[in-house]
Amino acid sequence: MTRLDMNTISSGFCILLQFLTFVGGIQWLSLAKMSSLSTIQIPETCDSLVGLVKRQRKICRKNIEIMDSVKNGANNAILECQYQFRNRRWNCSMVETRNIFGNVLKLGTREASFVHALSSAGVAHAVTRACSSGRLTQCGCDRTVSGPSDQGFEWSGCSDNIAFGIAFAKTFVDAREKRKRKNNKNIGRQLMNIHNNQAGRKSIENNMRIECKCHGVSGSCELRTCWRAMPTFREVGSKIKEKFDGATEVKLVYTNTLPRLVPVNPEFKAHTSSDLVYLVASPDFCEPDPKSGSLGTKGRICNKNSKAIDGCDLLCCGRGYESRKKRIVERCYCKFHWCCYVSCQECVREVEEHYCK
Amino acid sequence: MAGVVLENLSWKKLIILSLILLMLLITFFLIGGLQAPQPNNVNIIIGTKCYARGRYVNREKWHIPRGNKSISCEKLDSLRPDDPKIISQEITDKQVVFAFWIPGPRDGQELKMHPRFQYMMSVLQLDIIYQPHNPVGLNPVMLLDFRLGYRNEGDREGDWKLLAESAEDRKLVCTISTNEKNETEPGSQYDCELLHAFEISSLHHDYYLLNLRLPPSPEKNINIGQIDDISLVTIHQNGGFTIIWFSIKTFMFPCVLIVLVWFWKRIQQMCRPPNLLERTLFALGITMSILNLPIEWLTFWLNIPFMLLLNDIRQGAFYAMLLSFWIIFTGEHIMDQTERNRLKLYWKHLTAVIVGCVCLFVFEMCERGMQLKNPFYSIWSSEIGSKLALAFIILAAVAATAYFLFLCVMIYRVFRNISAKKSSLPSMSHMRKKYYMGLIFRFKFLMLLTLFFFFIISQLSEGQWKWGDENLNLEYSSAFFTGVYGLWNVYIFGLLSLYAPSHKTASSAHADTDSQEEEVQLTNMPSELSTLQSFATKADQD
Repeated sequence: MTRLDMNTISSGFCILLQFLTFVGGIQWLSLAKMSSLSTIQIPETCDSLVGLVKRQRKICRKNIEIMDSVKNGANNAILECQYQFRNRRWNCSMVETRNIFGNVLKLGTREASFVHALSSAGVAHAVTRACSSGRLTQCGCDRTVSGPSDQGFEWSGCSDNIAFGIAFAKTFVDAREKRKRKNNKNIGRQLMNIHNNQAGRKSIENNMRIECKCHGVSGSCELRTCWRAMPTFREVGSKIKEKFDGATEVKLVYTNTLPRLVPVNPEFKAHTSSDLVYLVASPDFCEPDPKSGSLGTKGRICNKNSKAIDGCDLLCCGRGYESRKKRIVERCYCKFHWCCYVSCQECVREVEEHYCK
Repeated sequence: MAGVVLENLSWKKLIILSLILLMLLITFFLIGGLQAPQPNNVNIIIGTKCYARGRYVNREKWHIPRGNKSISCEKLDSLRPDDPKIISQEITDKQVVFAFWIPGPRDGQELKMHPRFQYMMSVLQLDIIYQPHNPVGLNPVMLLDFRLGYRNEGDREGDWKLLAESAEDRKLVCTISTNEKNETEPGSQYDCELLHAFEISSLHHDYYLLNLRLPPSPEKNINIGQIDDISLVTIHQNGGFTIIWFSIKTFMFPCVLIVLVWFWKRIQQMCRPPNLLERTLFALGITMSILNLPIEWLTFWLNIPFMLLLNDIRQGAFYAMLLSFWIIFTGEHIMDQTERNRLKLYWKHLTAVIVGCVCLFVFEMCERGMQLKNPFYSIWSSEIGSKLALAFIILAAVAATAYFLFLCVMIYRVFRNISAKKSSLPSMSHMRKKYYMGLIFRFKFLMLLTLFFFFIISQLSEGQWKWGDENLNLEYSSAFFTGVYGLWNVYIFGLLSLYAPSHKTASSAHADTDSQEEEVQLTNMPSELSTLQSFATKADQD
């Protein structure tokens, strides 16, 4: 299983625009695989970016300064996906530059719903942070207030940046799904993606921490101001993972020619806008299968003592495992500073690792 | 206090007056809720991680997060030891500077601060990521080296001038959550208490720049974990709210002043010196007028950093007076044999008020007063300071409890005497009956009015902070502030107009041959009271 390291890979742009056929995967995520040294600064770059659809290129040209944050967001999403799925049979491994998760996301599986939600949240998160740090100048200052607000910031201040981050992520990420298609074959998948994208963004909004500060007379709580602080992306990832575990299988139905998704099992409670939905059950990812994008679990490290999915029984799909003793050099007795500097000793430790057959 | 307007007002007039005041009250709420924006605006600014080149660190140099390449600082993407830039440039913690430009850019342009924002306070929020081998120690002390500068729009780019600088100690208190297996997931973030950054009470410049260093020190800035980011959260009053607030003050100031003058004239017309209750009520009106005096308009043109402190003192004086008024009002309605109308009688109760207020005043001076000199100062950041502050607050709380108990005992005594008087009312002479009935009515009316107002405030404050309900197009907290402010104004307005001495007594329906005599008796209450009371005591004894 190859896990590609974001920071070392520096693949050039795929300038040749390939004929874009509809693939369920999120191709714009390949932005993350751009060299970490190259930044997107001039609108012309947009045309050479891999994996964007026409509408996304347009957004890119219009909001060129935000695209670096989109790239960061995509990068964070992939890293987070790999962290959250580190113990599962499918561990979010990347296989190729253009269609970075291979064919796993081609079908409307649970895994696809997770990746969609996470990447949408990743963009919203990264853009919001960039706005707050003052790197972006375009972030909107809207605040729905009653009364005269034509004086803007002077009269009623500005909203927090999360509104802008989420709105931008919605425009950019959902743009793929807004494409007109001649056949209605993929309408279910489109609805599913849009739903999961939104669920991902919701997991940021629903987990905002509320912080308050009292500043009345003598610091009393007569005057109290509260604000929303964004959760870390690790928290967002964990929340989406929880949603992944409780995802609902849905099917496409038409009510008055209006397509919508309803749970397959009518006894289940209808999903809310923050739940993940999927259309087809996932393959077991045990054996390599290029068609489904599964790489198999051969050679994966498993946990001998665990009964959960990371345990050798489940991870290796009953094929058994082999154990190897290994000496590893670790950093230990480290002395840290809050920044930049660490002094450690090296310790050698012998560990036993188990690999799936 | 004899024959007040309240007793002689017909029900019709009383209801009309009440309705007018109620309408005024509702108007205050609606102005706050519909016209004003939220009282405060919050800006969250993630610090730009700058670094100074070279071993020698020049503290005087400004690190500017944005702008021309030539003036903006050298930036770091990450502070982790494995960051390529940190390794290649051999950057140490000594060189790192967190730079915050307040406020941030929006909609393609730099926002500007405005004198209307009145004040700005800020706190620091640290993003410390959990690392198993580098955890945050038990309440480590941080040394924060702040430099705050300003620049105006016309100034040369990069020309920042120093406003204040200080190196401060702050205690870092962090907790971290664990999962069901009681272990902390790597990469999760510590939940740290917010650290006070600075508070400035006059915003007369366009842009502010905060440079923050965490200098290495033998005892401080150790065991504070791996800092990923520092955010500055600034809170300032919204310009729209300021204008509406000042407008309300400007409107209420003449209203209360007119009633106050009328009230005093009424007392002057009486052929006797004003009694204690009247003097207290007058003093209450004066503190209200001082609070209403809209001198804050001056801050739009003048740089008055002590305005926030002055406002707090004015507000404190008003509340102290209000508390004293309640004590004296209740005391003057006890209706026992002691001769009232002397301030001396209330020394115990008023001491409680004074002690409480003095404690809060000292605390206020230590916090906000000190911040005039050093905006980064916080009494809570030093060990002794926080103990002292706590001592003052506890003392104030004890005084408040004592006050409350005194008031409750007094109210209980009044009610006990009321029920005693009520049973003996039929056997009393006409004049005495009228006197007591008036006294009881006045007391019950104020009691009900006050309780009604407290009921409104408690109902309002419950819903004061709610997220959501966005479809409701009402700024709730603004409505709360303007509403409560209006409430006290209406309260004082009502008291002054209803509890002013009445000149109707002479020409009232009861007027007959002995009316002259009656009035004389009523107005000479102090001495009259004692005779009446001796009568009443006799009746009680019977």
